[in-house]
Amino acid sequence: MNPRVVGANLVVKLRCFYREKTAMFFTLAFPIILILVFGTIFMSEDNVSYHLCVQDLDRTKSSAQSIKTLEHNGKFKITKVDPDVNATQYVRDNRVNLVLVIPKGYQRHLMQRAMLSNPNASVTITYIYDPSSSSVTTKMEILNGVFAGINQELSGKPPFIRTVERSILAKKYRFIEFFVPGIIAMAVMTLSLFGTVDSDTELRQKGIIRKLSTTPITRTDWILSNILYQFILAVISAIAMLLVSYAVFDVSLHIDAWLPVFILLDVFAFVGIGMILTRFAKEAQSAAAAANAISYPMMFLSGSFFPIELMPGFLQTFAKTLPLYYLNEGLRASMVFEDNMAALRYAAVIGIFAAVVFVLGILASKWEEGR
Amino acid sequence: MTKEAEYAIEVDKLTKRYGDLSAVNDISFTVRKGEVFAFLGPNGAGKTTTVEIIETIRTPTSGNVHLLGMDVTKKKHDIVRRIGVLPQEFSSFDRITVRETVQYYSRLFSGRNTDIDGLIDLVNLKDKTNEQYKNLSGGLRQRVGIAIALVNDPEVVFLDEPTTGLDPRARREVWEVLQGLKKKGKTVFLTTHYMEEAELLADTVAIISKGKIIAMGSPGELVEKNANYPVLTLQSVDEKALEIVRTMGFEQVLSNHKDIKIRVEHTDDVQKILSAIKDAGASYLGLDVRKPNLEEVFLKLTGEALSDGPAGGRGAE
Ligand SMILES: Nc1ncnc2c1ncn2[C@@H]1O[C@H](COP(=O)(O)OP(=O)(O)O)[C@@H](O)[C@H]1O
Ligand SMILES: [Mg+2]
Repeated sequence: MNPRVVGANLVVKLRCFYREKTAMFFTLAFPIILILVFGTIFMSEDNVSYHLCVQDLDRTKSSAQSIKTLEHNGKFKITKVDPDVNATQYVRDNRVNLVLVIPKGYQRHLMQRAMLSNPNASVTITYIYDPSSSSVTTKMEILNGVFAGINQELSGKPPFIRTVERSILAKKYRFIEFFVPGIIAMAVMTLSLFGTVDSDTELRQKGIIRKLSTTPITRTDWILSNILYQFILAVISAIAMLLVSYAVFDVSLHIDAWLPVFILLDVFAFVGIGMILTRFAKEAQSAAAAANAISYPMMFLSGSFFPIELMPGFLQTFAKTLPLYYLNEGLRASMVFEDNMAALRYAAVIGIFAAVVFVLGILASKWEEGR
Repeated sequence: MTKEAEYAIEVDKLTKRYGDLSAVNDISFTVRKGEVFAFLGPNGAGKTTTVEIIETIRTPTSGNVHLLGMDVTKKKHDIVRRIGVLPQEFSSFDRITVRETVQYYSRLFSGRNTDIDGLIDLVNLKDKTNEQYKNLSGGLRQRVGIAIALVNDPEVVFLDEPTTGLDPRARREVWEVLQGLKKKGKTVFLTTHYMEEAELLADTVAIISKGKIIAMGSPGELVEKNANYPVLTLQSVDEKALEIVRTMGFEQVLSNHKDIKIRVEHTDDVQKILSAIKDAGASYLGLDVRKPNLEEVFLKLTGEALSDGPAGGRGAE
């Protein structure tokens, strides 16, 4: 290994990449666009808020206060319905699925209860709803919960059953936080695999490989500089993706030494596969086609975009045979779940895989096939 | 390694087979240090195969090849540091400038003291130093390739068809560069299918056809031995003139399109042919009489034309 030669090679590769502006843009932009698109689509699922119509027939301070309470609960966006209209008609006309009606005398009854002048005073709040709507039951359940809380408070006694939530995860995560590590793993795979296949076939076609084989550069120098180059690109790409995720979606991800470790393993594994493909594909197109045939199914089946638990059982089993699965899960273990033991397990699996294909890749990629 | 040999290149009974095809068929030759040696032959003759075996990037089927006394199948590591190569159809990284390209290859040889600008100057590319490779014309690209072949100050330089596909002017500019190399006393192994190129640059020419060397010697010797007669060329002759030449019994060396080349024994014969044509009222547009060249030698030896490209025959400019 000659550091000067590796350095010279690296400089040429980086210059070519930097000067090919459109290629550079698309290489870096594609995963970012995926993050923006999917992040936006699934943003609503992370903080659902329901639309709720309220008709206040009481028109008092107390009734207004109760409506505020509902709003502050965070689950509802409230629209006030004019007390003079027929609520049933309103539901039909405006295609809403629920109107909550606060009856006249709400404040008066509340006062009686609070002053203990009439401990049995009560009011009836009416849900006028459209049972054909799917989300209306959820809405009513949430409202029931809120009202139960208010009733409990009014009774003046501490509740008997209390509940505490304890997640098995260190913290609650949003879809986008699950998504970003998967996209990083996928983007690094694509960069390394296609970067290796495309540049090897291009250099072969141009006869540069033949020229290089009459210079002292060794295969080790050549492969090492390619690994370094792909790693630098992968790190730049990952940083860009993370910056966008933080800026646009305010993600909360844990970043530590595992991130570069998994990126490096990703690079080794797929540069290795790329070298094997270029060696065995006769023509340039067939190497690229083989790279496509490998990478597309892998993207969809290894859980880059969604949890594999959503897939049928046999596909879940299959996913666990794919190298990208271990990169996805490894990155999630470190960035989302902050589980070092899990990250280590995934790293071990992909590390062994990367070592094997990389060695095979080196053995396969002779300068020129025994001419 | 044997003693430092007298010859730069020694090829002994070299054969290279691809399946049933003998691309190179039992050839032997030597190249002296400091000479320009040209392999002259048409496409598919086996030039590149031979050159790349000497450059250590192909393996011979049988035979012995030594470069500077070293066996090419065993000393690749030592050999590549002492040779410079311009491969056939050379090309380089599109987005890298001339200077950066030369510098890159110099670094591959760990050359710390390579005179990059001197090399660029040597191939007359001073005003293209910062131009990217993709913006260069064919002739300029070949000159970059020659500069690169010299980054390690090699003892033997291999140039595989350095001017193929270039226009006559670009070709001449490459020849100027190569004449410069020759003056510096480098051993140069050149392959070409342009006889002018071999005649102009080479000290020794080996004519190769179908994997065999069919003649070898200095351009002068080859002509002397194989085609020692003047050649009369008549341009744009008509049918009648063609007929007359035929009936007079002169040997036609070549006739393509409207031109005919006739082998004559004496300048008197020229007179005879011209008056016969005139008497018959036949016509031609132009003529010249000259000494034969390597093209006629090739034709004589193989019965085939070497090339019908612009460099074959007389130069157009
Ligand atoms: N790698 C190869 N595999 C099979 N045949 C080859 C290979 N390289 C060259 N040949 C054949 O060997 C012959 C000589 O080729 P080459 O040395 O390239 O000729 P030249 O350089 O004189 O044009 C040609 O018929 C060519 O088709
Ligand atoms: Mg050739």
